[in-house]
Amino acid sequence: MNNIGINIANIFIMKKNFFRKVGFGIGPNEQVPVNPIEWAQSQVDKVPPLVWGESVRTGEEMLNYYAEWVYTDREILRKRHKSNRKAYVEAKNKLRIKVGERYFDNLEICIRHNTAINSGAPVFERLWLFWCNHFAIIDKDFMPEFTTGPYHRETIRTNICGSFETLLKKATLGWSMIHNLDNSESIGPHSEWGKNRRMKGKLATVNENHARELLELHTVSPAAKYTQEDVVQLSYIMAGWEHRHTKKRKECNPVRFNKKKHEPGNHKVLGKNYKQRGLSPKNKLLDLLKDLAAHPETRRFISFKLCRHFITDRPTEEMITPIIAAWEKSNGHLPTIHKALLKVVYYYADKEEKFQNPEIWMLQMVHMVGGSWPLRVDEMKYNFKIKPSRHQRKPHFFMKEIGYDPYRPIQPNGFSDMELDWISPELLIRRMSAPKEIAKRNIILKDFGSMIDKNFDNPEEMKNLINKVKSSSTKMQLLFPSYRMLKS
Amino acid sequence: MITRRAFLTGSISVTMLGSPIFSAFAEKRKKRNLVVISLRGGMDGLSAVPPIDRALEKFRPDVIVKNTLPLTSDFSLHPSLKNFHSAWKQGNAAIVHAASIPYTERSHFEGQDLMESGGHKPFAEYTGWLGRGMETAGLDGLAIALPMPLILRSKANLDNYYPTKLSTPSPEIMKRVSATYPQNSNLKSTIERVMMRPYSTLSGRGSRKAHRLAGTAAKALAMPDGPRVAVFDINGFDTHAAQGGSNGEHGDKLYNLDKIFGKLRENLGTSFNDTLIVTLTEFGRKIEQNGGNGTEHGYGTAVLLMGGLVKEAKVFSDWPGLKRKNMFEGQDLQATIDARSIYCSSMAMAFDTDFEKLKRQVFWNDPLVNLQDKLFGI
Repeated sequence: MNNIGINIANIFIMKKNFFRKVGFGIGPNEQVPVNPIEWAQSQVDKVPPLVWGESVRTGEEMLNYYAEWVYTDREILRKRHKSNRKAYVEAKNKLRIKVGERYFDNLEICIRHNTAINSGAPVFERLWLFWCNHFAIIDKDFMPEFTTGPYHRETIRTNICGSFETLLKKATLGWSMIHNLDNSESIGPHSEWGKNRRMKGKLATVNENHARELLELHTVSPAAKYTQEDVVQLSYIMAGWEHRHTKKRKECNPVRFNKKKHEPGNHKVLGKNYKQRGLSPKNKLLDLLKDLAAHPETRRFISFKLCRHFITDRPTEEMITPIIAAWEKSNGHLPTIHKALLKVVYYYADKEEKFQNPEIWMLQMVHMVGGSWPLRVDEMKYNFKIKPSRHQRKPHFFMKEIGYDPYRPIQPNGFSDMELDWISPELLIRRMSAPKEIAKRNIILKDFGSMIDKNFDNPEEMKNLINKVKSSSTKMQLLFPSYRMLKS
Repeated sequence: MITRRAFLTGSISVTMLGSPIFSAFAEKRKKRNLVVISLRGGMDGLSAVPPIDRALEKFRPDVIVKNTLPLTSDFSLHPSLKNFHSAWKQGNAAIVHAASIPYTERSHFEGQDLMESGGHKPFAEYTGWLGRGMETAGLDGLAIALPMPLILRSKANLDNYYPTKLSTPSPEIMKRVSATYPQNSNLKSTIERVMMRPYSTLSGRGSRKAHRLAGTAAKALAMPDGPRVAVFDINGFDTHAAQGGSNGEHGDKLYNLDKIFGKLRENLGTSFNDTLIVTLTEFGRKIEQNGGNGTEHGYGTAVLLMGGLVKEAKVFSDWPGLKRKNMFEGQDLQATIDARSIYCSSMAMAFDTDFEKLKRQVFWNDPLVNLQDKLFGI
């Protein structure tokens, strides 16, 4: 590990898979970077703008669409058509069109993929996708349709060039996570509301979901050996962080701290006592998040996860050590951590192979052939008056079809990073079928030989695979499900 | 395709497990089939199997089910469940009422996670009770789904099948792709599995519609060397509005369910005698209707059982009644039976595996009751 220095002689022969390990490969109009580590590290200091030909709706605007959808459905349509189900279904379908319920996640996939491929900073984009999955929002209510895309763009993307602590706070206290993990439902048993409820004979308890996932998945992991009591105490600290629930907007209100639901007093989590400082008890959670962000098990767990995502299913102590060290030294400065990671990934580029998930693999394919994916701005024009066309619904259809619906992980641990979860007969059939779909639209690549030279250390093997094959479509069907392309 | 959204879309998927459908090896044990149908959104047991009780009409004047089919002196059946009813008349259907998984928090997302994992805490388990049960029984699996549904996940590597709408490459291309995979790799054995299949199961593959998949599933279950477990998934039971009585949203969903019952029975042929079909849902619905002529999330519900392995046409229940003081939190049908007892018993019977062993290895030795003698006639 001490000799990670750059061996210029090796660059053109070895480790070309590095550009797929941390990016989307080398595209038709790109040259192989002369200094891969420098190329990669230079991409992680600042957040590149989204790449979409027109202005992108903010999360706030999207929450308004969500609010209109749930309010109109629950408060108006359900009542207006309570005895006529057909009329209800019809009215609801009209509402879908009006609020873009079938449109927006297709648009989000387009923004996500267009940005990922074309921002000029593929390494940043790969890290973005990693962090989106680390702070995963599961398929719940209408979040995939309206808010998970904006959450990825605003909460995650804009915060991965600062400190982990900031990212953690933004993700934890953002509307998406608060709603996704039910923190608004928590009522401290001894809070003002808790007491009132109990006087009325109602229950007043905390929902532990958010607290548990905050420990298990977002920060320290079970390796920190926290107890159920820690989870309960943390839930007390978190009680009161909520989105208001109103008649007009339902759950679609900004997150606030509601002292009346907050459990008063001191709470011990992982051996440390959290106390109120000053007038508001808000600081208890902020103090705790700061400690969780700086916890040695958080460093270890996330360094491990980074290696598992970018290097191998089974990271070694040697791999994670330099990343943990960078984390510690920089107090969790993400660009520093990412740079340390990139160095380690480069070192192991010719030693370890990583099976890429369907989305990353698909984006690599598109980038390497200069494919016309996703749909363009003009194809995604929508007037909120007629149903989005079949063509406009293709992005979501296609992602579902290849087995990776980016806004719909089913559990808070997100999509798997393990090869075993991505290899099954059907998923493999999809890998063999998808290239033809991409080939149906225009591709820039003419010279497959040069694409192979730029992207693979063993070009002859890859070239043999398409020997005598004429059509680009068939070439793609052969190359992209092949071993060296699936793994990088 | 398992998705947790769109409870109102009524989409469906099917999953099958057992010995591989596309390869042949003889089962040594007597082959019994287990079919689990997940009714997502919270199936209203009081609508599917209404108790004959005036109190219910009082609580639900606008969603009361009329023209019910007769079951017992205490319970009747929703008129949409005709196929189920005909099986009942032949002694091939039963009901466990006032049952539920032990989850009372009324969230679909938590509830559906728990109904599949069989666990106590939402999102704490990454495997499903059926997957663990099959692993305990030493059965190989085939899932008819693209992503593996939670209920079937286990440590074992499962085969899967799910019709695609993309076009599949020719066998020649597959062969050349396969040649790039190292011997003894997971990729190699997987692609070999694919290539062993008849090409018709790979290309231009058919409908994903509920009853079509049910028919396909049943035919496969009927094969002596076919799979032994199938899982269906019906969305749309979350009827907050316009639930309706005999007709209406809930009635339509029950009709979809009944269509699957019918298709399974028809295509299972004589294997129906060696089959148990059982339903699963995250919770029942509140006793009282809401302002939109629908019902809110509740607790206790009914579990439907059908197939030749059912012992007798009977409603099993420790019926709590509809008196306010007997309701859960003063508003729901109380659940007097942990539905997991039914599922553990079903697996013990269908997999010919010790109940206690399953209870230990699948359900953390929770105090589940062995209902095999009561429910199944073997």
